[in-house]
Amino acid sequence: MSYNIAVVGFGLTGRLAALELSLVHNVTVYEVGNAQALSSAGRVAAAMLAPLAESVLCEQDLALMGLDSINRWPKILAQLDDTVFFQQQGTLVVAHQQDKGDLQSFAQRLKPLANHQVKSVNRFEIEALEPEFAGRFNQGLYLPCEGQIDNQAFYSASFNTLQKRHVQFKFDKKVDIACKQLLKSYDYIIDCRGLGAKNTTCKLRGVRGEVVRLHAPEVSLTRPIRLMHPRYPIYIAPKPNHEYVIGATEIESQDSGPATVRSTLELLSAAYTVHSGFAEARILSIQTGLRPAFSDNRPQVNHEGKVIGINGLYRHGYLLAPSLVAEAVALIK
Amino acid sequence: MNDPNTDSFSIYGEQITSRLLIGSALYPSPAVMAESIVASGADIVTVSLRRQQSVSAGDDFWQFIKDTGLKVLPNTAGCHSVKEAVTLAQMCREVFSTNWIKLELIGDEYNLQPDPFALLEATKILINDGFQVLPYCTDDLVLCQRLADLGCEVLMPWGSPIGTGKGLLNQYNLKTIRERLPDMTLIVDAGLGLPSHACQALELGYDAVLLNSAIAGAGCPVTMSHAFKAAVNAGRFAYTAKAMPEKEVAAPSTPTMGMPFWHQT
Repeated sequence: MSYNIAVVGFGLTGRLAALELSLVHNVTVYEVGNAQALSSAGRVAAAMLAPLAESVLCEQDLALMGLDSINRWPKILAQLDDTVFFQQQGTLVVAHQQDKGDLQSFAQRLKPLANHQVKSVNRFEIEALEPEFAGRFNQGLYLPCEGQIDNQAFYSASFNTLQKRHVQFKFDKKVDIACKQLLKSYDYIIDCRGLGAKNTTCKLRGVRGEVVRLHAPEVSLTRPIRLMHPRYPIYIAPKPNHEYVIGATEIESQDSGPATVRSTLELLSAAYTVHSGFAEARILSIQTGLRPAFSDNRPQVNHEGKVIGINGLYRHGYLLAPSLVAEAVALIK
Repeated sequence: MNDPNTDSFSIYGEQITSRLLIGSALYPSPAVMAESIVASGADIVTVSLRRQQSVSAGDDFWQFIKDTGLKVLPNTAGCHSVKEAVTLAQMCREVFSTNWIKLELIGDEYNLQPDPFALLEATKILINDGFQVLPYCTDDLVLCQRLADLGCEVLMPWGSPIGTGKGLLNQYNLKTIRERLPDMTLIVDAGLGLPSHACQALELGYDAVLLNSAIAGAGCPVTMSHAFKAAVNAGRFAYTAKAMPEKEVAAPSTPTMGMPFWHQT
């Protein structure tokens, strides 16, 4: 049976929900901004799919949900009309000699995920994985199951495909979810507003993150790199055409203003210590995003009457969204 | 005898019951933080006011802190210069409406060792400005004496570098400071990893311990919080009970009366 469904919010979860629902239902998307959804956390993110590395910070069930999501991503991207970069070549975790204690501590805190073992790697194995790291690092960890996608390409490709499917878009439209008119017009409302739901959703907060996008022709890294450092733990996510996302700070603040000099220095200095080729890189952008999070930093799918809400994805948007959206869509009878 | 369940120590005239001061950083989530803080039984929570974390922008995070109902001890974590620390202390006073400031001035980027020289300078400025300073310092007796001379009523020497979890690296130094500054409120700050480290600090006669990573970085922060609470009580009980003197020769604890004399040496 085909329903009239409103998807409110055109960030990562909104796009995934619209893609899934528009296969069967009549979908209208509401977004407070434009088609770019510039305030969306998913636009700024590095879009890594790292269930093992993130298991250090989240509960095991969420890490397992991440594994499930990784399997869903290729199917989601296959339905798009444009190609979106996706890879699953693992993550390499490295540390400088003086910080090997941080690497050990990270290894100890990784949660076991069945059939997805972590591998300790020496300098030769690191060199085999990433030839440009030859002689740079003596110890590391390889997390083979992990991957990443190009989020900016996903944002534009998902919009194109949804347009072709004749999904209706209402941009620059702030929506009151409880509005009677809205409830009357649709059979279901999928609330994907992220922090936009802050006033109506109890205990939702923003966690600030800053990332730098670089174009670094002198750097050829093939997979996401995580640097363990006592003060500046960073990741470097390679994107197509020698572009790299360096991230991310995590600050308990709802200030979405421009990145600070301190954060930028920390991110770029750490990246430079990983690969000196970043010295000549061009800075494409320095962006700030607010991750929507509940007090336990766990995501929620809520169902109340006609409204199904997906929120609180915190720092695990790309990692968890496909599974959470599937869970939400399954609620539509 | 003081009952460790009811006795207290003084921070600038204010009587504090719990001998565990707890930090508010690095927890897996604000919910775990709130639960850990409650489990610790702490009366005081330290917070750092940094970067974009102004009270209005980070209001949800501050709400979690406020909801604990604990007294807030702001700190100047991450400051490297006297000017930076003094400015941040002044901001903290406005934001938290308290004259207390845990003064942290980092001298070395790698082991985060306090800079003793800048610390003295900043302490002097802040005391003249009406602050009640709780300086985070190394376990150097002369530095502690100089800080006392400036008017500090509380000192916070380190156990070991921040976040290392190595415990009390130099018990001799800590013991000396306790003996030479008998009326000073002394709190071991930084470097504790295990409840036994906190217990040792209290056994040495320290008034309290301040810790963050040992709880926030534990596999189960809430359970570890319970463990530290128990350890701090054990250490305080032990100190007030006065430990037996250490001996070089074994002394039997079982009476040997009636044992034939040729069995005794």
